[in-house]
Amino acid sequence: MEFPNIFWGVIGWMIFWAVVGSVITRRLYLHKDLDTSNAAFVGSMLGAAMGPIGLAALWLKTPELTNRLLVWPAVGAVTLIAAAFAFADPSNNCVANGSFVASQISNGIILGIIYGFMALGLTLIFSILGIVSFAHGEFYMIGGMVAYFVTTVWFPGIYPIVGILAACLVTFALGAAFERMFLTPMYDGKIERPVEYGILVTFGLAFTLQYFIQATVGANPVKARRFFDFPRLRLPTAEDPWLIKTSRGNMELFDTISISNPRFVAAVACVLVLLALLYFLHRTWTGKALRAVSLDREAAAIAGINPDRMNMLAFALGGMIAALAGSLLVQAFSWLPQVGAIPAMRSFVIVVLGGLGSLPGAFLGGIIVGLVEATGTGCVPDAQKAASYIPAYGMIVLTLTLLLRPTGLFGRRFSGGAHGKF
Amino acid sequence: MSRQHTPQLAGLVLIAFFAVFPFVYSANDYPYIMHLLITGFFYAILASSWSMLAGYAGQFSFGHMGFTGIGAYTTALFCHYIYLSPEATNLCTEYAIGDQFLIFVNPIGVTSSTLSQDCLRQALSAWDGSVQVTAMPVWLGIILGTVMGGVFGLLIGLLVLPLRAAYLALFTLGFSEILRAAISAEIAITRGQAGIELPYLFDQGITLFGRHFDKTDKLPPYFVMFFLLLTCLGILAWLAKSKFGLFVRALREDQDAAAALGVNTTRYKVLVFVITSMMAAAAGAVMAHYVRIITPNNLMILQMSLVVAMAVIGGVENFVAAAIGAIIIEFTLELLRNSFEVGDIVIDMTIWRLVIFGVLLMITLRFSRNGIISPIINHFLRGHVAKETVAKRGAAAESAGGSS
Repeated sequence: MEFPNIFWGVIGWMIFWAVVGSVITRRLYLHKDLDTSNAAFVGSMLGAAMGPIGLAALWLKTPELTNRLLVWPAVGAVTLIAAAFAFADPSNNCVANGSFVASQISNGIILGIIYGFMALGLTLIFSILGIVSFAHGEFYMIGGMVAYFVTTVWFPGIYPIVGILAACLVTFALGAAFERMFLTPMYDGKIERPVEYGILVTFGLAFTLQYFIQATVGANPVKARRFFDFPRLRLPTAEDPWLIKTSRGNMELFDTISISNPRFVAAVACVLVLLALLYFLHRTWTGKALRAVSLDREAAAIAGINPDRMNMLAFALGGMIAALAGSLLVQAFSWLPQVGAIPAMRSFVIVVLGGLGSLPGAFLGGIIVGLVEATGTGCVPDAQKAASYIPAYGMIVLTLTLLLRPTGLFGRRFSGGAHGKF
Repeated sequence: MSRQHTPQLAGLVLIAFFAVFPFVYSANDYPYIMHLLITGFFYAILASSWSMLAGYAGQFSFGHMGFTGIGAYTTALFCHYIYLSPEATNLCTEYAIGDQFLIFVNPIGVTSSTLSQDCLRQALSAWDGSVQVTAMPVWLGIILGTVMGGVFGLLIGLLVLPLRAAYLALFTLGFSEILRAAISAEIAITRGQAGIELPYLFDQGITLFGRHFDKTDKLPPYFVMFFLLLTCLGILAWLAKSKFGLFVRALREDQDAAAALGVNTTRYKVLVFVITSMMAAAAGAVMAHYVRIITPNNLMILQMSLVVAMAVIGGVENFVAAAIGAIIIEFTLELLRNSFEVGDIVIDMTIWRLVIFGVLLMITLRFSRNGIISPIINHFLRGHVAKETVAKRGAAAESAGGSS
């Protein structure tokens, strides 16, 4: 289907003013000796949303870039794109069909929660060790595999929670062992560039684990049975269940939004585990020690915390979180040794978007990425093309984030450890 | 002949060996071995240029395979869609150049065989053999692919300027993934997962040393790849010895300090991206013409991990070692490709070899940061230096001891 030129015209106009805005605003703020950290972002978003008028106002006044100035132009730009799209293609499913939009949004949020949860592990590892684990997708895959084997192959009929716990245990042990064997030389300054070493060695781990599973399990897709059946619900009445209607594998809200059971269960479990994790990080001694190490290694060490042990804990915990997401999703998707690649990429996108090392950022970033992917798959007119582009949507978000605001939504400056290097 | 010249001597012997090898070797598995060597050279170019980018300049880019894909797809699309014809088709987009017409064939995607023929095929069947259409020369496609790789390298180099370490790795990974998604999605132009076919490297065959080689012969592509590898290694060696090498290494160690001492970090960071991506693109274009089909799966992260692993095992801070490592590893991987049985269990080595390879990669990283081959070279190159240093230190200590 051909798009009307007006849509591309609007997009071209926005991109042009965004580029102009980002470059010139940064220069201008630098020239006036003001804080430039957000200048590129605000300039581009204001340029995209309001064109030359907004930019002229910004350049004349050069106000302090408050949070309000950060948020509203971005919202305006997104609204403008949506409006241009709706105007250009009024018959599109995601413009005309309200229930489709509601389904896409709710699905996007549910998947976003799961993605965000998985990214949480990555950001935890980063905030403590200062490295990005490239093996995150493989931990996710192994979690799913262990849960599948326990619940479906070895002990069919066992409580699914046993499978999930087994997945957590295995990956926790694996992460801890890997950290002890391969990441310890990073801490004592024997390695010149610890960050690059961390990238490469986790990359090697990913390679090894993926082929190890392929060699032992095989390359055929497997799928676990559903963990949990919905109870049969018909509300408000059995005759007219407009509020909520459930069958064993599906739930329908308001006659419009349909949510599949495995995803719903996974999202709820993720939220519960997230709450537990927050409790652990904020209320227990070990959790507080973890956060202390992420804030300042040396100060934490002086206060009697062993940072090396915290490194091990963080890496194992991060891997375990990915595995938990995997073990919850193995009932929703068919599982292959290569299944970790796309979620891993998505986690990278989310942690960069949320700000490397920020826990709430990871969660919010997850929901944003979920929504972006839902929009992308729902709104691109050619369905086959839309599906092929799924990995690209997130990557576009990543690229834009890195170019406009490398610190992400809630990025902070790090001190100590490998953090000082970048 | 002192010990420090041993590596140069060994290098010359190696080059001579590879130059003579295809003429003297004549066993039954000749095509197989030749194919392995060509693939080995291909990976050697990638590994050595990546070691320049990552090991020398410290830019850990995961987009190297993306540049290979850009080179390969540029030449593939060029050879697939552009033709020269003496007569106008009146169907395609065409431009008159002298007495010839430059024809741009319309993309019709994967359903070309029966349903919808493209405009050139229709014109050809209308002419019924009366007009000869010329395809574009392959070498021009390869050059275009290389240039295109350079252009994208420039673009990426400019975009990643403010990014370091982990951010850079993620960004380049993202670039490579977007490229792959775009190629798989634009089925109408690139034929998506079905892959696009390319002409032979030498479509008419070629006469070398008074012998005619058919277009399917392995020897001409072998030498093309071999000379490409030598050219790349030559350029890299020259760069590493010149102030360029010094500057990029300074950039790797401490970007801010290098900038403070007057190194134009922007220029050198972009330049190293442009040069290495041109090498990757050239290798990709030649390899695509040799294999004669290119699919988006060639850009997968797996291929990238192979290149990274080869460079690291060879020695990431020495591009010659990386190249040798790539060839050796390519061979070992292929030789390990047979299954064997232990008792009743068949062990499928096609997968297990990659597991072993991954473990080897991690262990190399852990215990020998400079790889396996690079220390051997350094041992010969620097052996006398170490000895001299020890002797000098001994003398210094002695004289210091004497004076006190």
